[in-house]
Amino acid sequence: MKLLITAKQHKLRKQLHRLTKIKRHKHHHLIHNLHKKHRISKKTLFYVKEYGPHSHIARTIIKESIKILLFASVLSSFGGLALEQIKALFIQIVPLIILLPALNDMIGDYGSIISSRFSTMLYEGKVKRDWKTDRELKKLFLQIFTIAIVMVILSVIISLFISSFTNYKVTTAIAGKIMFIAVLDVALLVSILFLVAIVAGLYFYNKQEDPNNFLIPITTSIADFGNMILLAVLVLLLF
Amino acid sequence: MNIFDSSFKEIFTSQIVSVLGGIIAGTILAVYMDKILLIPGMLILLPGFLEMRGNISGSFASRLSAGLFLGVIKPRLRETHIIKGNLFASFSLALFVSLVLGLLAFLFNYVVLGIPTPTIIFLPLIAGLIANAIEIPLTLIVTFYIFKKGHDPNNFMGPFVTSTGDITSIVSLLIALVII
Repeated sequence: MKLLITAKQHKLRKQLHRLTKIKRHKHHHLIHNLHKKHRISKKTLFYVKEYGPHSHIARTIIKESIKILLFASVLSSFGGLALEQIKALFIQIVPLIILLPALNDMIGDYGSIISSRFSTMLYEGKVKRDWKTDRELKKLFLQIFTIAIVMVILSVIISLFISSFTNYKVTTAIAGKIMFIAVLDVALLVSILFLVAIVAGLYFYNKQEDPNNFLIPITTSIADFGNMILLAVLVLLLF
Repeated sequence: MNIFDSSFKEIFTSQIVSVLGGIIAGTILAVYMDKILLIPGMLILLPGFLEMRGNISGSFASRLSAGLFLGVIKPRLRETHIIKGNLFASFSLALFVSLVLGLLAFLFNYVVLGIPTPTIIFLPLIAGLIANAIEIPLTLIVTFYIFKKGHDPNNFMGPFVTSTGDITSIVSLLIALVII
């Protein structure tokens, strides 16, 4: 009996060692086998694979993150370029300057929330084949959309209030325009992000890849870039 | 269909924290607008610079949380193989991305707007150094603190990192401007 356990442990150790050598690109079947056979959680196995005693942690993190960070930097710089083109006009609208970091954070956060929640729903098998009639998805959309609208209205009110303490004169017309720009920006982007998350999420899931690894960078980049472009266009049109 | 369930409340609460941090950062930006935004190319740089803090420190916090839950990392401020590697990687990534953002802003400024401003390369590098010297250790300490208190750091660290990240980034940019 003791011999049998030792042999089993030895085999497990060998398999875990093999796991640390596997490249990250695909979901390896060894993870699934070890998870099923030895009841080790998939997260633990993933951690062993990524940050085991033989791995160079800093190199692994840098190698895996650098491409997406560079992509995000280029995309946000392009978005920023759109705002830079209308800088003279933009910096005159104090409430929008106050709103800018909050809007960026907000829309990026919604991208992450939609992506991670939709990925989890896919893994749990909660998404129907016909996603357009799916109740769970409808509920998620309504939740995010409601929160987004409430938060953006709240942010605009606070930014207008703070602006009233500066030299900037807040008239009803300006307040209305700023509210319209911010609400339209958030409503449009949340809807686009939702659609992108579903289409891309289903695509990667059907290709048997982990949607978590792709959806968050894709949606947050679209959120940042889209926010800058939309703000630039709306400011140009309304001011 | 009841949309006002526990996850609605959780997202709503985290969003209030995130938005308040963003508004504070925006107010600092508006107050020092003449110093920050009047530098050519600053708006090209700013969105990426603000976003970077969330991307790098957010991932750092989530890796730490996973390690804490799996028992691979102990919530003690002692140098271990994993913590050391994470700190080094996060700091190196932040400096590299700051430099790339500076170079991109310089390039766009020069090519599109026809204004050569070498200052814009060094500004995010110095500001990134200052902001990360504050933000990365702060993320580590707060993640450990929340875990020790028995909460899930994943639920708190996202909004915490984005809101404190915005404020430290803007303040660091101001300090970098004074230095340059």
